[in-house]
Amino acid sequence: MSRVGVEALLTSGRTLKQGRAMELGKLGPEYLKEVAYCEMDTVTLESLGLEEGDPVLVETQYGSVIVSSKVDRRAEPGVVFIPCGPYANAVIGSETESTGMPKFKGITAQLFAAKGKTVLDVEKLLKKMVEGA
Amino acid sequence: MVEDTDMKEHIVCPFCGCLCDDIIIGLEGNQIKENKNGCAISKAKFLNHHDDRLEMNAPLDELVEKAAKIIANSKRLLVYGLSSTENDAHREAYKIAEVAGGVVDNTSSVCHGPTILGAQESGEAHAALAETRHRADLVIYWGSNPQFAHPRHLSRYTRAPGFYIKDGKKDRQIWVVDVRKTISATVANRFVRVAPGSDLEVLCALRAIARGKVLDVDEIGGISVKELTEIVEAMKNAKYGVLFFGLGLTQSKGRHRNIDAAIRLIQDMNVYTKWGMMPMRGHYNVAGANKTSTWQTGYPYAVDYARGYPRYQPGEYTAVDMLVRGEPDAVLNIAADPAAHFPKEAVKHLSKIPVINIDPKRNMTSLLAAVNIPTAIAGIECDGAATRMDGLPLYLKKVVDPPEGMLPDRDVLRMIYEEVRRMKK
Ligand code: SF4
Repeated sequence: MSRVGVEALLTSGRTLKQGRAMELGKLGPEYLKEVAYCEMDTVTLESLGLEEGDPVLVETQYGSVIVSSKVDRRAEPGVVFIPCGPYANAVIGSETESTGMPKFKGITAQLFAAKGKTVLDVEKLLKKMVEGA
Repeated sequence: MVEDTDMKEHIVCPFCGCLCDDIIIGLEGNQIKENKNGCAISKAKFLNHHDDRLEMNAPLDELVEKAAKIIANSKRLLVYGLSSTENDAHREAYKIAEVAGGVVDNTSSVCHGPTILGAQESGEAHAALAETRHRADLVIYWGSNPQFAHPRHLSRYTRAPGFYIKDGKKDRQIWVVDVRKTISATVANRFVRVAPGSDLEVLCALRAIARGKVLDVDEIGGISVKELTEIVEAMKNAKYGVLFFGLGLTQSKGRHRNIDAAIRLIQDMNVYTKWGMMPMRGHYNVAGANKTSTWQTGYPYAVDYARGYPRYQPGEYTAVDMLVRGEPDAVLNIAADPAAHFPKEAVKHLSKIPVINIDPKRNMTSLLAAVNIPTAIAGIECDGAATRMDGLPLYLKKVVDPPEGMLPDRDVLRMIYEEVRRMKK
């Protein structure tokens, strides 16, 4: 795996398809497809040497996760997005600064090309999360 | 013979905080065949309501007893969720927390909890959706992407014609303020990009400019002072403005301070003209959970009954904090999926303790749960009441019968409550 990464602020949030997929079944393939990606601008994608759909490793001080890459044509370099859900949560911190609210948006992240790596399905990701691997 | 389709009108959609009440459902017998007026998410919710259901893997009585035993034996129970079920179920959940001396928190602690904290500091400059539609000539969405999270918000309320606003497109300006150019930004009249984490500075700068202060810099949070001044002028000159704000404000740096500043900005604007604001509530009844919690416990979320009377302390009795500290020894989760929506550290503790999960559908929490009790879907398979994002209560209707043997959340919770009480005697 390439260790030359791109730094960006990671934010998470809702998408229409994620909302729809939740209703179709959270353990199904549709949900996986709609929450296990990282959206970025084309410059970031190209700097990573990736083609859209290639796996990308997103690493923060709290953990790392492999998701597939996706282009957001409106995006600008510096901000990347993972839909809210278990993949985003795998790399966010749990500190709430006494408000109850973890920081779901605006976490410094490094992105690395992860060609050849696979995106875990929801059940395997959960297992990995709770086992602390 | 083809069965006739029976059309049911004025059905309320139980998905997002818009609680659209104009859904028409086409039924053939006990089957939902059609959803008219609903958005893509609504259609998926109604038409796939029987897919991917949680299975009842033992008789209900046994499951209730097992759940009650876990609760009665717990020293520090956490009751969590509630935002995707109706008000009567909430009541039973609070009763369980009280009798077990546990903590009860709802999902607002990870969505608009900071909004409540902000309002507790600065008051609430509330608006209503119908008012927005009829009167607002300037609408701002800040840190919110309604086209994705509340798909009919624009078409029903902010692009729709109203009594005074005859043409929702020409007579009304819609602006989006966000860190990303979202899909909603592309349909807005104006997009203002704010640098991530600088909403608080921008809000404070707007207030300062409104008060006539001269700022000694060229830009704040990625926005030029010239543009900020234009924004303030337009806000002052609006006849009726509404600020809708989302998790872009509550979940980013500043959290409740962002909301506090936004409320004060709106209060300042009311010196010049009329402005209101409203949180874009996500789950269909998360606003209701805050209300019912306040009615019954005195506080909107993060309530602890350990001393026999309710105490309120976000940061202490909020679910994520409790789980990260490893405090609860049992969790009763109702109509939410903390395993999918909490940070890793919180999920880890969830996997170590007995979880009782009450939900119609399978989800990530159901994979971790010691006891799973499937229930009927409120608003589709049973009735109830829920609260829209502007505080309007609406009656959810039963459209079809639930799968055999599935009861509403409120009934299952009532059974658990009775059983816990019996055990505690
Ligand atoms: S906007 Fe929300 S409430 Fe309205 S139909 Fe869509 S999901 Fe349902």
